[in-house]
Amino acid sequence: MAKTKMDHEKQGRDHPRIPDLKNKFLKGELDRREFLRTTTLLGLTAAAAYSFVDTFSTDLPDLISSAEAATPKKGGTIRAAMQVQDMSDPATYDWVEKSNVSRQMVEYLTITGADNVTRPYLAEKWVPSDDLKTWTFHLRKGVMFGNGEELTADDVIFNIKRWLDPNTGSSMVGMLNTMLKAEDGKDKDGKPIKVKRMIEGSAEKVDKYTVRIRLSSPDLSIPEKMYHYPAAIVHRSFAEKGANIAQNPDLGTGPYTLTEYKVGEKAVLKRRGGGFKYWGEDPLLDEIHYIDTGQDAAASLAALASGQVDTIYTLDLTLLGAAQTMPGIKVHEVTTAQTGVMRIQSGKAPYNDIRVRQAMQLAADNEQMLKTAHQGRGQVAENHHVCACQPDYAPLPKIKRNVGKAKQLLADAGHGGGLNITCNVGNTNGQWETDQVVVLKQNLAEAGINLNVNVMPAAQYWEVWDKADFSLTVWTHRPLGTMLLGVAYRTGVPWNEAKYASKEFDDLLTQAESTVDMDERHKVMAKVEKRIQDDAIMIQPYFRSVMTAASDKVKGLGVHPTNYHQWNKVWIDS
Amino acid sequence: MMILISKRIGFLVLTMLVVSVLLFLLLEYSPGSVATKVLGPYSSEESRELWLERHGYFEPLWWRYGAWLGNFMSGEFGDSVRFKVPVSEILWPRLWNTAILGFWTFAIMIPLSLILGVLAGMREGSKLDRIISVSSIITTSIPEFASTVLLSAIFVFGLKWLPGTSSMSSGFEVKQMILPVMVLIIYDFGYVARMTRASMAEVMTSHYIRSAVLKGLPYRQVILKHALRNALIAPFTVIMLQINWLLSGVIVVEFFFAYKGFGALLLEASLNQDLYVIEACAMVAVFVAVASQTIADIGYTYLNPRIRFS
Repeated sequence: MAKTKMDHEKQGRDHPRIPDLKNKFLKGELDRREFLRTTTLLGLTAAAAYSFVDTFSTDLPDLISSAEAATPKKGGTIRAAMQVQDMSDPATYDWVEKSNVSRQMVEYLTITGADNVTRPYLAEKWVPSDDLKTWTFHLRKGVMFGNGEELTADDVIFNIKRWLDPNTGSSMVGMLNTMLKAEDGKDKDGKPIKVKRMIEGSAEKVDKYTVRIRLSSPDLSIPEKMYHYPAAIVHRSFAEKGANIAQNPDLGTGPYTLTEYKVGEKAVLKRRGGGFKYWGEDPLLDEIHYIDTGQDAAASLAALASGQVDTIYTLDLTLLGAAQTMPGIKVHEVTTAQTGVMRIQSGKAPYNDIRVRQAMQLAADNEQMLKTAHQGRGQVAENHHVCACQPDYAPLPKIKRNVGKAKQLLADAGHGGGLNITCNVGNTNGQWETDQVVVLKQNLAEAGINLNVNVMPAAQYWEVWDKADFSLTVWTHRPLGTMLLGVAYRTGVPWNEAKYASKEFDDLLTQAESTVDMDERHKVMAKVEKRIQDDAIMIQPYFRSVMTAASDKVKGLGVHPTNYHQWNKVWIDS
Repeated sequence: MMILISKRIGFLVLTMLVVSVLLFLLLEYSPGSVATKVLGPYSSEESRELWLERHGYFEPLWWRYGAWLGNFMSGEFGDSVRFKVPVSEILWPRLWNTAILGFWTFAIMIPLSLILGVLAGMREGSKLDRIISVSSIITTSIPEFASTVLLSAIFVFGLKWLPGTSSMSSGFEVKQMILPVMVLIIYDFGYVARMTRASMAEVMTSHYIRSAVLKGLPYRQVILKHALRNALIAPFTVIMLQINWLLSGVIVVEFFFAYKGFGALLLEASLNQDLYVIEACAMVAVFVAVASQTIADIGYTYLNPRIRFS
């Protein structure tokens, strides 16, 4: 008999895949992190998942560090050096820094921790249908906005509709692609184009505290996508009140409110007063101060060294040596899926000949780029933008550098006499970007390719990032490879800077997104990765580690791979 | 004298007009990118078109320039793309901050360099002259970006006496002013001192000074009453030029020390393509440059006894 949606929920049992996952964990075929991640995504409560792994595993390290285990002290202020940018509308955020200030005021349906495990947050649980095409989010009761109103399904529906409205301009469009359909529209010159619009009824209010979303194809990573930084839940009156969270901090459910805010200078957040009852465990800090020390990385370290701030947003690689020798300063480092992708648009010559792109990949020395440009801090990558630190990564056979073959391919493509190309780089994240392209220049020169390095100011780079044929763009971490691939390489999504269009890839990715079984998913992911690798649309040499530095007195501070500031358990040991 | 002043003011207005045309053409004649910058990279084509239409970007060029100039004259510089507030709300406080930085720099640097320059020039070739000259050359030849790093290494990271940044995030703090002011003084005092020394040395060899000495006037009176006025004409012009230098020269210092001044604003606006801020900053910088030169010209005429209008 065919199962209907939510059968397991109606019957009060777990998702049918969960017993299988438990078996695999017990047999040692699934590691702790992946077990927690997948079972919680399938609707098992975090408490139940942790209880299961704690019962059946004895030799695993505790995720809580000794610093966190110390007795936390309530009160105090943390001062962080970070650019204070305009953060009016969370739905349109394009920088994590913006979300870090608002993150203390507005919250998300889910939360992904530094351990890559997604847990319930404003939603107390979620239930996927057996086919993973329908997701039901049960909201926590008694969650209050700063304006005194309770969070309800209407607020969540309002937010989802707003994210997916093309007039909002949110990158959530790429994340929730399976809630959209393409409609006929016209561009400014009247030419017919396809416009993506939200499918009628794809977000539905079941009751006051329940929201159901329907997808056109299965997607396992919906809870993780609900923690993408523009997916903050604001009160349903947000748009009519001017769509500005800085002016209306009461339209969030977070424990802090904004008391001082000046773009480019400072943001001060204080614990909400006036009888506000926070739904969760009260955070330890009384105040959070973000101090803008400008775009000079050295300035933030100088501020830390002289005690003007307690922590900094990121530690620039060039300053690592200095920071490590400073007394009272601790460097925190985490392996991430952050990377600098030198993507290639294959529409124009010479890149429209795949042999040229393949030759570039074969001539590139990914290991040398990691070693030279990023001091070896990270993991060598394989030109498909899925990181070994992501649970859906599938290892592919290693492709060795082969300059001779690269030369042959170039000769076959009619470039035996040499080839002149240009790569744009904006140093939007640091000098390592230019260093990476310079190493590539040396690599390609061995194959007879003359690479011009076009270093541009960061702002100027963002004008051309998705237009130039060959450019280096920095991409941040995502908990899953499929999340990143969906937002960056699926045909027609706004951030598809490589203008990659492959139906085979799209279909494989959709299949990977809907496959729960780990072994099966790895098999599909191997095909996804191979498709990208074979199409040679990028040179993606390594995934980089990210670092931050903080004063010794800051306790409970972990580095989130996406640089998210989850500071509810951070405290100051003064 | 009135004719000279009128001419100078007329020149100032003309320069500003030329600069305004150049700026307008350079920065405004890219409507596509303006709309994208203001509305964000994910804005729809439709909303960008609407924005451009609402802001008159489809009107003829001369009309747009006229409207822009009119707004500019009335203090409406447009809204900052980055800060999302009217440019004037950011520009004037930032200019004021730089004025504070400039005030303290000049308040220390001018007396210091004049005194050292006069002392060196009074006895050209003396031991004191050599010490002052050599130290002036050394400090002036160290670029600001190097002295910022050097002084930070000593006073922030080494001795831990001074704060590493000057963002004044908790209000004005004298301690935070020390390093930026010190860097600016170190770089600039040598130049003014050298100019003063050269001017003083030249005056000291002139006939009227020799006559005054031979006449038996006390040396102190010769210096203060006869030599100084003439010797300070050249440094006066140089000092006025330093106002221009300060506006652009503070960029490095303000950026390095995260001081929220005009220079840092201009640099960050350029890095973030904040067009209206760049326009306003450029116009203000040009105005300050031309106005200070106009004042220097008029002041020079007043100070120099050889130029007199009947």
